[in-house]
Amino acid sequence: MAALPHQETRLATIAQLRQTLRAIEKPSLVGKDTPLLPFGIPELDEALAGGLPCDALHEIAALHEAALAPAAGFALALAARHAARKSVVFIAEDLSAAESGLPYGPGLDEVGLAPERFISVSAPKSRDVLWTMEEALRCSAVAAVIGELRAGARGIDTVATRRLSLAAAEHGTLALILRTDPGDEPSAAATRWMIGPAPTAFDPYGVGPPRIAAHLTRNRRGNLGSWILEWHRVEQRFILAEIGQPLAATAPDRPHHSARVASRVASRVA
Amino acid sequence: MYPDIAAIPEDPAADARLLAAMADWCQRYTPLVAIDAPDGILLDISGCAHLFGGEDRLRDDLVASMTRFGFAAQAASAATIGAAWAAARFSDTPIIAPQRERTAIADLPLAALRLPAATIAAMGRVGLKQIHHILDMPRAPLAARFGADVLRRLDRALGHEDEPLSPLLPVAPYVAEQPFADPIAREEDVLAVVERLAGRLKTMLERRGEGARRIALTLFRTDGAVKRVTAETSRPVRDPHDIRKLFSERLAALGDEIDPGFGFDLARLSVEIAEGRPDQQIGLSGSEDEADLARLIDRLSARLGRNRVTRLIAQDSHAPELAGVTMPAQRAGRIEDGWNGFRRFRDDADLPARPLRLLARPEPIDHVIAMVPDGPPSRFRWRRALHEIVAAEGPERIAGAWWNENGWPARDYFRVEDKTGLRFWLFRAGLHRDLAEPPPWFLHGMYA
Repeated sequence: MAALPHQETRLATIAQLRQTLRAIEKPSLVGKDTPLLPFGIPELDEALAGGLPCDALHEIAALHEAALAPAAGFALALAARHAARKSVVFIAEDLSAAESGLPYGPGLDEVGLAPERFISVSAPKSRDVLWTMEEALRCSAVAAVIGELRAGARGIDTVATRRLSLAAAEHGTLALILRTDPGDEPSAAATRWMIGPAPTAFDPYGVGPPRIAAHLTRNRRGNLGSWILEWHRVEQRFILAEIGQPLAATAPDRPHHSARVASRVASRVA
Repeated sequence: MYPDIAAIPEDPAADARLLAAMADWCQRYTPLVAIDAPDGILLDISGCAHLFGGEDRLRDDLVASMTRFGFAAQAASAATIGAAWAAARFSDTPIIAPQRERTAIADLPLAALRLPAATIAAMGRVGLKQIHHILDMPRAPLAARFGADVLRRLDRALGHEDEPLSPLLPVAPYVAEQPFADPIAREEDVLAVVERLAGRLKTMLERRGEGARRIALTLFRTDGAVKRVTAETSRPVRDPHDIRKLFSERLAALGDEIDPGFGFDLARLSVEIAEGRPDQQIGLSGSEDEADLARLIDRLSARLGRNRVTRLIAQDSHAPELAGVTMPAQRAGRIEDGWNGFRRFRDDADLPARPLRLLARPEPIDHVIAMVPDGPPSRFRWRRALHEIVAAEGPERIAGAWWNENGWPARDYFRVEDKTGLRFWLFRAGLHRDLAEPPPWFLHGMYA
């Protein structure tokens, strides 16, 4: 677009002022009007001051390597809720596929993510994972990016996490780092979670709705806390599990569910 | 006897590689280059000679370059492959004008017709030593005596029959190239040239309403080596900026393999595969996002490799490992229909929940104790950790491909939860009544 000389200097000045403003604003990456993703659980939303900021970096660590699946489920459920119609990119190292398996299409529907919105990338090294995360964050068609890093992955230092959170903030994409062990290096993530497995409620017909133990260990916007969350399959969201809750009633719009549940052979070992 | 002679053992493989490299270099003259083993190269220069100032200038340039590289070369051009071959090896004429093949090759020995040695010996015994001896002979007795091949070679040399040339690389539909008087070596310069050539290709592609799906960048080094880099895209592209970014990722991925040496003196960008792509309106938000996603997939594929960026495809199979598979994202087309079909099937058949992560290969588990032989296990050991099961669902019987000898036995799948709250998808391979020893157990996936 050709502009006249004095217009060009004005545009240049405006651009410069914008740059200065951005530089001043940067220390608090989560501004006033960041979109928030509420959990729908009052205790959790209160700790997060409204909800999870959607254009920031969050770190989700599994308590131990075997707990990677529940942690991945938590991360994918968050990504699914935020993604709506856009795509989710999942990046893992080659080693992850061998050790913990790959996300399975038919199982993604269980956490609310449509497999056709899912793009998975397998990167040879951990720094390729970080590079791919940054590239994917810049794409406008991507709503959430999940990068899986294994124990001993070098490069998850303040610099890398800061770059990722800047890219997330600039493009309004949700960035999640999924780790197989909790690290304690300083990080620029807005929240840090530790996810462990949690036994489900007693269900005479088999395994109940899945539960995870979520510990919020670092939070810039509020308090920390630990909760047991249960995934509500019909409403496709997390609810707070209370110990001793009786079996959830079958959903009214799925009458055949109760028939299916009753026909399963179940066993329970005390 | 002769201590000064340097004796080097013959290495035909290395010779073949060298010849292939030389043929690659000859691509700068024409895209139709074929190797004439063991020591010849064929170039089809129809339509290319004028770019170099005529056939004789092209030939002189070729011979001079080969001499500069240290090879002794003879070159000749004619209207047919046979006549050119004969002239290059057996005569001194550099160019045979069209329709003059007869006179030009008449005095050459019969070996100039690429006949096998036995045939030449047989013909020599009856006094046929030069081509003019057989030019006017009756054809049928000649063929009967020495084989039809003699006549075929003769006809091809004289132009009565067409001889095809099978080039090393297919001819690209769109090509743009840029020679450099001052060779370039820096990556930024190469990328700038790519963008400029892509701009030229864009006008060509727009005229036909097509876009590029596979683009090749060929860089000719001053010392004769040729480097070729290809990039693929998931949908037809025309934008020079996108093409430049693609090659920037490719060059970054290849790193040191593209060694410029003393510089590149010719850069050629060719579209190897083109697909129809009508002009699109910009500004519709949906298609913008799709285009952006396609660009991201192309960039990641260019940098990491096409098979590392995948999408999930639903397949109509009851075997769990085949029901959801991955496919390179650049190749996958519409996948929503597959998944809608899967969801319909899942609701109709009331499929039990599938795990979030599936292991590539089911891992064997041991120390399995089940209360009932056909029931779910009450504990198992996996990767040296013992898991005590407190709840289980199942069995879900998935039969193997019983029509296939190599099909796996029927599997009874169980969704189990252990004491700590981890949930697994296990199966028992085979039924107790079918196997002599207890059937083995495997772990196939993990639930969230």
